[in-house]
Amino acid sequence: MILQLVDRIGGLKPWLNGRGLPLKNEISRQGNSTYTCVRITVYHSAQFMKFLLLGFLVIILISSPSFAQWLDFRTAGIPRTPDGKPNLTAPTPRMADGKPDLTGIWVADTSKYLGNLAADSGPVPFQPWAEKVYEERRANLGKDDPEARCMPQGVPKVNTLPYPFKIFQLPGETVILYEMFYLYRQIFTDGRQLPTEFVNPSWMGYSVGKWDDDDFVVETAGMNEQFWMDTNGHPHTDQLRVTERFKRKDFGHMEVEVTIDDPKAYTKPWMATIKQHLLPDTELLEFVCEKNLDPAHLVGK
Amino acid sequence: MNIASLILVLLFHHSFAAEFDSSKPVELKGTVTRIDWVNPHAWIYLDVKDDAGKVTSWGCELGSPNLLMRNGWRRDSLKAGDIVVVSGSQAKDGSKIANARTVRLGDGTRVFNAGSSGDAPR
Repeated sequence: MILQLVDRIGGLKPWLNGRGLPLKNEISRQGNSTYTCVRITVYHSAQFMKFLLLGFLVIILISSPSFAQWLDFRTAGIPRTPDGKPNLTAPTPRMADGKPDLTGIWVADTSKYLGNLAADSGPVPFQPWAEKVYEERRANLGKDDPEARCMPQGVPKVNTLPYPFKIFQLPGETVILYEMFYLYRQIFTDGRQLPTEFVNPSWMGYSVGKWDDDDFVVETAGMNEQFWMDTNGHPHTDQLRVTERFKRKDFGHMEVEVTIDDPKAYTKPWMATIKQHLLPDTELLEFVCEKNLDPAHLVGK
Repeated sequence: MNIASLILVLLFHHSFAAEFDSSKPVELKGTVTRIDWVNPHAWIYLDVKDDAGKVTSWGCELGSPNLLMRNGWRRDSLKAGDIVVVSGSQAKDGSKIANARTVRLGDGTRVFNAGSSGDAPR
């Protein structure tokens, strides 16, 4: 068991073998079983005792911070100040091709745009029916928001949440995992175009991305009409097309500039900018919306 | 959007004002009977005794376990049997449920506050 743990911690085995410790360690998998079997052959008991003590020490040192479910786990590769704190104003990291690397865990600076995406956008160019729907939703204090029933937030609302998202910038696609409600997006960067027709509209839509200088520009379409763009209830239709420009300003700061283009709901495109900050030294937590007691009490006015 | 709704929207995946009445504050002193550490909201349940000795069970809604954990709280930061004072707002439909704005132990120590300053996790 102890050796199994040491082996999981990783990197020790070559170090030990390099020092002539007589460890023979075989790990095997049997069928589809997830059990791991570790067989150890030890030739010299004194050396083995030294190894055991070392193993205990390593386990104690390494396992102590793990109780927090990786909430406080130190992220590798982050520039740090001499006192060890993340240097969040360090320069934007870049990929081998010179483009910004957006990899990391991010969260919106404020929940203002979750409440009202147009909080700083000035008058929204509603189509008359859309304004009527918006005013009705506001008058009812947003009681019918599908998010309150644990439905996905859709795009662009996922950029406004008080829960983090994690970006993986991979060859051919950029993947974003959203903590809240366990959502994800695949943003294809392999040169494909968005379909012109969407036979299967979805909550998070279909996304393609490309670089415009240092901005990662994501076009999303093919979304269903079932989500609201904010708690206030800005409506949209199946014609919604969202452009997000991800601008990583420095190591710890990013802006997502959102353009809403939905000619059936708005007479012209309108924009909002949602500032994000990096969350260093943590990980996403599971968030399954599993026991939602609110809908029964959402009465509105 | 005023400051109060700005702060409250942070904690909820739903409109605060559609469910709770901030103009009707409640203060509940009672004994914790159960803690539900579950998304989208953690809940604590209290037995509250009135002056006549009648006991009423209240449910108090908190932020999500994820926000609470990011603010340093754990599911066992409060236990059944603890006596607490909850300040909050009662549900508009008259149910014996409330949004818990603050939860305090007998000595005044605050527990389970999550982002009530209006800040996102940092």
